Amino acid sequence: MFEREDDSVERVIQHLRRSVSIDPGLDARVMREIAQTPSPRRRIWPPPRPVWPLLAAAAVLGAILIARPWTRDTTSGSDAFQFVLVAPQAASVSLVGDFNDWDPARSPMQTAHGVWATVVLLEPGRYRYAFLVNGVEWRADPGAPASKDDEFGTPSSVVTVGGRGEGS
Amino acid sequence: MILTALLLATQVAAQDPRLERLDPETRSAVAAVVDSAHGVGLPVEPIIQRALEGTTKGAAGPRIVAAVRGLAADLGTARSALGTSASTPELEAAVAALRAGATPQILAHLSDIRRPPLTMALSVLADLVASGVPADSAAAAVLALAPKARDADLVEFRRAVERDIALGAPPGTATSIRVNAGAAPGYTTSSDPNTAEHSSSLRPRRP
Repeated sequence: MFEREDDSVERVIQHLRRSVSIDPGLDARVMREIAQTPSPRRRIWPPPRPVWPLLAAAAVLGAILIARPWTRDTTSGSDAFQFVLVAPQAASVSLVGDFNDWDPARSPMQTAHGVWATVVLLEPGRYRYAFLVNGVEWRADPGAPASKDDEFGTPSSVVTVGGRGEGS
Repeated sequence: MILTALLLATQVAAQDPRLERLDPETRSAVAAVVDSAHGVGLPVEPIIQRALEGTTKGAAGPRIVAAVRGLAADLGTARSALGTSASTPELEAAVAALRAGATPQILAHLSDIRRPPLTMALSVLADLVASGVPADSAAAAVLALAPKARDADLVEFRRAVERDIALGAPPGTATSIRVNAGAAPGYTTSSDPNTAEHSSSLRPRRP
């Protein structure tokens, strides 16, 4: 049993010791293939996969912090102002002023049980305005300062939006 | 060619379609005022708005023209008092203050003691007068508060005076009392969210 095993080992050794004929052009072909194969580059960007979720989260967080959608519109500097008039008998009320070219069609007010309201974005400045009730009757805002420089004989009010995020 | 370019640049009114709401005669006169104002570097938007206000309110043409001419003149006075760096909102507020009785000297003094923008300070001055406060008292109050008060402080000051007047206080007395209270060290605004400097409320504010 041991002798037969030794014979097998010997046969393997003899087989491995046989000379092998190699094509003399093998080296040249191998080197040519190597030269034509693109070398693997060291990847600097994008970074390895596990970093991507962190970078994406950071980008989203940064965008939110910059945009600050929960605050006022910082890109235009404008601020939302709500104008309200209690007029239970009115069929229509429009807000007209320096901020909408005194055009009654631009800011029609919506009503809920006689309370008319609308919201307008205003940039810093001093604006004169009034309410036009039923298309014919001019009313000042009872909750705002009156405009004294009214050359047209109808009441107007004033809203001032400050330049440092303040308003009256 | 340069003259043509200058001519085109100065004729801003002719290109503003909003003025088509005016009748031709009034439009021509208003356009002349607008172009003249533009030519000397005054803001034209307030003038256009005043003309549009007039026509929406059904005012006669001559009345509209008189209004825009007067406004252009007052804008010029305001700019002379505040300087050429004054913004359009500041000039508009200064016009209101002038019409309330403030002198150009008061405006100039205010611009010396308060860093811009002066819009709120000037507007509060005009609004106080509209509430019945004598012009000299209103001017003195604003000048006293102007160096240190924030815009929100001035707004709250005006509201406090208006409340006192509504409760029966003489306007001048109410102003004096509130100035003395406001000039005291540590003066801060009320907790009114509408005037809180760092209010993050999403609610639109009331005028």
